[in-house]
Amino acid sequence: MRKKIFSRFSIILFVIGLMMAVQYNTINEPDSRDTRDVWEIRQELSVEKQLHSELLSEISQMDSTLEKYEAASEASPEQALKETVEELRSLAGLTEAAGPGIEVSIEPSPEAVALGQNIEGISPDLLIRFVNSVNSFNNLEVSIDGNRLVNTSAIRDINGKTTVNANPIQTPPFTAKIVAGSTEDAEKLYNYLLSSPLLDDFYIDDLVVTVSEPKDDMVVEAYDGEISYQHLKEAEGE
Amino acid sequence: MWLSVLGLLLGISLGLLTDMQIPPEYADYLSIAVLASLDTLFGGIRAHLQHMYDDKVFVSGFFFNIVLAAGLAFLGVHLGVDLYLAAIFAFGVRLFQNIAVIRRLLLAKWANKKEAGETLG
Repeated sequence: MRKKIFSRFSIILFVIGLMMAVQYNTINEPDSRDTRDVWEIRQELSVEKQLHSELLSEISQMDSTLEKYEAASEASPEQALKETVEELRSLAGLTEAAGPGIEVSIEPSPEAVALGQNIEGISPDLLIRFVNSVNSFNNLEVSIDGNRLVNTSAIRDINGKTTVNANPIQTPPFTAKIVAGSTEDAEKLYNYLLSSPLLDDFYIDDLVVTVSEPKDDMVVEAYDGEISYQHLKEAEGE
Repeated sequence: MWLSVLGLLLGISLGLLTDMQIPPEYADYLSIAVLASLDTLFGGIRAHLQHMYDDKVFVSGFFFNIVLAAGLAFLGVHLGVDLYLAAIFAFGVRLFQNIAVIRRLLLAKWANKKEAGETLG
């Protein structure tokens, strides 16, 4: 009799355990299922891979700097430091940049001139759009009407005048100079700008963009203002 | 007694290892069924301790309670009344009562044993 009771209890307990486990499984299902398909995952993978290669190249660059330091530390540590400072200054846009590049001149459209329309300055929105689309290429040095674009450059409207680095831009015509890292890049940029829908955006504002053929000896002016470091502080010495 | 524990462990491990799942819409019914079965289980243990245990009552109560609770929940969903709350309340109260009775019975049993030991000693 006793045994029979326990066998009954065992069966019931088995069923209860099974039900509880199933309930547990159901409740603990992950909140959001991964519904990405293969292509989305591949795209994410390619983005990550690109990041990976960028990081690798950065590491190798750092390594070479380190090697240079080590090699030069015995001979003249000062020289190595000066070189690095110069490198950083050129990266920040504080020195002139020369190399293969193109010149973009922005002029009032002949139709507007023929009709005798008022020629107005370029709007900051359009200029920002132009700079952004050009910046989709890496390693470019850009100056607009003699104003070098650096990381802290602002293109904005000050009292009705479009300014770059707080310097007003001329009413068209004016030129923008772009130096690319290599001749190939300059050619790519040239072709990109020729076929860019951006030209239509300029035409809406009665402006015409002329892109010069890539030149090998383009020079972009240095940034002449002062870069203010409001939040940047010197690191504590080690 | 160990056989019962083994049964419970077997059921849990089988459920977890096979990774069985039910559609989330039915999770409510299953939870209420689990509650009903626990209620029946503790009722059975109490009856056993009170020497009132009946096989037929136990097994029929187990399945009937589960079906009734799930049926009530189903009806509640279709009528727009949260009837499953009634089932949860009823089973919950009974569960606590049963466990309280089991505790008292076990305590009384233990006290009896101790007394018997003392008188023997």
